[in-house]
Amino acid sequence: MKTTTDTTTPSLSSWGAFTLVFGICFAVLYVVCDMAALPLFTYHPGTDRIDLGYAPARPDEGPAMYWYGWLASASLGSAILSGLAALLPDKIRGKIPLALAWVVPVVLLPVLIYSLKFYWRWE
Amino acid sequence: MDFLFDYISVNTFWTILFIVHALLAVALLGALTHQAAAVLTPPRTEDTGGFVRRFRSVSAPSYTAVVCLLWVLAFIFGGWIYAKYRIYVRIPIEQEGFYKTLGAFELKEHLSSIGLGLLPFYWYLWKNVGNTTYASARKWLTLVLAAICWYSFLSGHIVNNVRGFGL
Repeated sequence: MKTTTDTTTPSLSSWGAFTLVFGICFAVLYVVCDMAALPLFTYHPGTDRIDLGYAPARPDEGPAMYWYGWLASASLGSAILSGLAALLPDKIRGKIPLALAWVVPVVLLPVLIYSLKFYWRWE
Repeated sequence: MDFLFDYISVNTFWTILFIVHALLAVALLGALTHQAAAVLTPPRTEDTGGFVRRFRSVSAPSYTAVVCLLWVLAFIFGGWIYAKYRIYVRIPIEQEGFYKTLGAFELKEHLSSIGLGLLPFYWYLWKNVGNTTYASARKWLTLVLAAICWYSFLSGHIVNNVRGFGL
């Protein structure tokens, strides 16, 4: 793998800022889209029907799937935000904490577990 | 795709897709675990031979591209069979009342998606492996991805044990 020279400069290139902000925003937006029911589209696997936005399951047509729509919503939103982050001046980009890339998913874990509280039951 | 069904049954087709997904996951698990071990406990110079030393003595950066590729491929295959899972696997498991199993699998779906979004930065950090200011983020992000991979692998395995594709 190609490596850069050793440096102690805590700076991010435009691409680095794009990838960092994309990862952070994708995680946050994905959880928001899940909890607030904000899929870009709804897929009905029983009939291969696709509805724009959130659509409840139709009678006699099987379940509705939102996961694909959450991925699309989170991807679109985070692409826009990370694109803006890449345009920031070098001085500001360097102040984005790199640790957010792994701290955010760890912090979101209990939120996700809570969002699935419907399943954590003993019967 | 319909021409395939002249040769194999629909059930066989989906089973093949699932097995490919599972094999990709095994390869990803191995690659990420090697890399995580290498960054978590780098081999010491005074270490002699042995399985543990050899396991963590890999060239961690060389795993990056293959980890990204395997994650994406496993995700695509997982997303492909997910529609069938929703109807033919999840509904029977719901009817049996195995809600915690389903919840564990839903969590896998969320975590593997978040992991997918983190791959570009993971790749960036490892591409710039010579930059010491990235070392901590690189180490912890790798460990988080490895943890997600292990969780996803095990929860998927449990669901398969509970139901599989019911063929």
